[in-house]
Amino acid sequence: MIRFDDVTKVYKGGSPALKNITLEIQKGEFVFLVGSSGSGKTTFLKLILREEKPDQGAIYVAGRDIGVLSAWKVPHLRRNLGCVFQDFRLLPNKTVAENVAFALEVIGRPRQVITTQVAQVLDLVGLGQKASRMPDELSGGEQQRVAIARAFVNRPLVLLADEPTGNLDPATSQGIMSLLDRINRTGTTVLMATHDVGIVDSMRRRVIELDRGTLVRDQARGVYGLTDEMHSSTSGLPAVPLSPAFAELLDKDNRRSGKADLDKQKLPLSDDVPVSDAGKGNSRVSSVRARRGSRY
Amino acid sequence: MGLSVEYVAKETATNLWRNRLMALAAILTVAVSLSLVGTALLLRQAVNRQIGAVASNVNLQIFVNPGAPKSQLAYIRQEIKATPQIESCNYLNSTESYNQAKQLLKGQKTVLSVLSPGTVPTDFRCQLHNPNQAATVGALFSAGIPGVYKVTWPGQSIHVMEQVTSVLQLILLIVAIALLVSSLVLILNAIRMAIFSRRREVSVMKLVGATNWFIRIPFMAEGLVQGFLGSLVAVGIVMLSNWGLSYLSDRVQALSQATVPSGDLLVTEILVVLVGLIVGVVGSSVAVRKFLDV
Ligand SMILES: Nc1ncnc2c1ncn2[C@@H]1O[C@H](COP(=O)(O)OP(=O)(O)O)[C@@H](O)[C@H]1O
Ligand SMILES: [Mg+2]
Repeated sequence: MIRFDDVTKVYKGGSPALKNITLEIQKGEFVFLVGSSGSGKTTFLKLILREEKPDQGAIYVAGRDIGVLSAWKVPHLRRNLGCVFQDFRLLPNKTVAENVAFALEVIGRPRQVITTQVAQVLDLVGLGQKASRMPDELSGGEQQRVAIARAFVNRPLVLLADEPTGNLDPATSQGIMSLLDRINRTGTTVLMATHDVGIVDSMRRRVIELDRGTLVRDQARGVYGLTDEMHSSTSGLPAVPLSPAFAELLDKDNRRSGKADLDKQKLPLSDDVPVSDAGKGNSRVSSVRARRGSRY
Repeated sequence: MGLSVEYVAKETATNLWRNRLMALAAILTVAVSLSLVGTALLLRQAVNRQIGAVASNVNLQIFVNPGAPKSQLAYIRQEIKATPQIESCNYLNSTESYNQAKQLLKGQKTVLSVLSPGTVPTDFRCQLHNPNQAATVGALFSAGIPGVYKVTWPGQSIHVMEQVTSVLQLILLIVAIALLVSSLVLILNAIRMAIFSRRREVSVMKLVGATNWFIRIPFMAEGLVQGFLGSLVAVGIVMLSNWGLSYLSDRVQALSQATVPSGDLLVTEILVVLVGLIVGVVGSSVAVRKFLDV
């Protein structure tokens, strides 16, 4: 889904923000991007969004080299990428529903589609009852849910989240994480930059660690910090006890193939977003393409 | 898929209302400058018509004393024939001259009441091979030919009229252009403010994949509307100017032909509206290009 091929990014007059990064993120993965402040996490996400261009190397999204994408096609790339930030970035003069609808309005979706999709996604994030509230009447966690709803309402292939729990307390953060996990279970690839040790440790997903622009770790089912065990076995399950809240979320393969998928009831995605596993390859990409009739 | 008229209309109206003071300033400046442009254009057409009416058919007018004897008339005719610069002449007898005077002085009852066919000078209206020789020929005839009341050629008066109006036009045009430039800057600034006040929306739009034109068009429509509203005000003022002109031309004999036919007035008004739209589009395009980073 996302491939970095020897990518280097140098901002004007600085040392490289990213150095020779090569990695691949598969469709449907949930990936944490960790590293201290200034290590290049935000730059990594901006490169995927084509907000920045790499100085060297190539970045592929859904098989396309986005470095050679002409400027007028960039919006179509971004329609396939949802985005969530630490500071929510809601429009303060619009209601919750209007904020979410705005994302569809400005890409020219018909009104009927907007009405139904907004209602669906607000139910998914648990804010169906607060559709007509203003953002400043909501808690931080609720505001972030609105932001996630806005990012997801167009059913992107990838959800990028830049420290989405950075402004939230641990309990609220857990709620946000289980929401992101639910979204991931619909087949959406999730890439989340974070500082939050507790979350990374309890989710046990793939961890990519950056240090001053260098890729220092890429580990399946990792934790935030390196442990001795990690050094010896980067792919094995660690012996660290799981937090009970997330223990059930652990085995994604089991969950994927599970027949009782709660999300299907909450969000009727089954026909246009098939819940897929790695083996199904690009079925979702092509179905999304066909449905939208658009390419970038 | 794409930009709906409804969306653009809604966005544009909201933007205009949010920055209504800036928008008003821009609209009024457009109105003032376009009024001047339109008035200058009207004036130019009116003057051209006046000059044309005087200059086109008659290069030289030889007035004959009212009631001059036939022998004098015949002598003048002979002299005209003998002058090689004169191409042809047309003699208006006393009745014809009187009728023409009545038309020219239409509305001025007191003057008309003292005129009669016998008191109006008759005249030869002559065309020259070369109108520039009017002064030479004119001097020839005004120098002591019996029965000649006076000789006029439009050369002098037209020249003065042309000079005065061209200076006037130049001043009007310079002021109008200065105002047009400032209205362009005002529209540009109004759009810049609109972009600034909507920077959050714009950043979200970019993030969710709105196309560049989708983001730009409401702002450009805003500039277009400002230019258009300004030009509408100007259309009204140009109409007033035209009314003033025809008022003058009804009363001032020297401007009797200085009117603009309604077809030409319409063309002028359309031109005013077009310039208004162009100023709006150019101003907002520059603002969008400079300040909307998409
Ligand atoms: N727009 C920019 N211009 C110049 N330098 C930048 C810019 N954005 C980030 N940087 C630099 O690049 C490095 C990586 O930054 P960033 O990607 O924001 O890291 P993180 O998100 O992990 O905190 C830092 O040294 C930062 O100062
Ligand atoms: Mg960052």
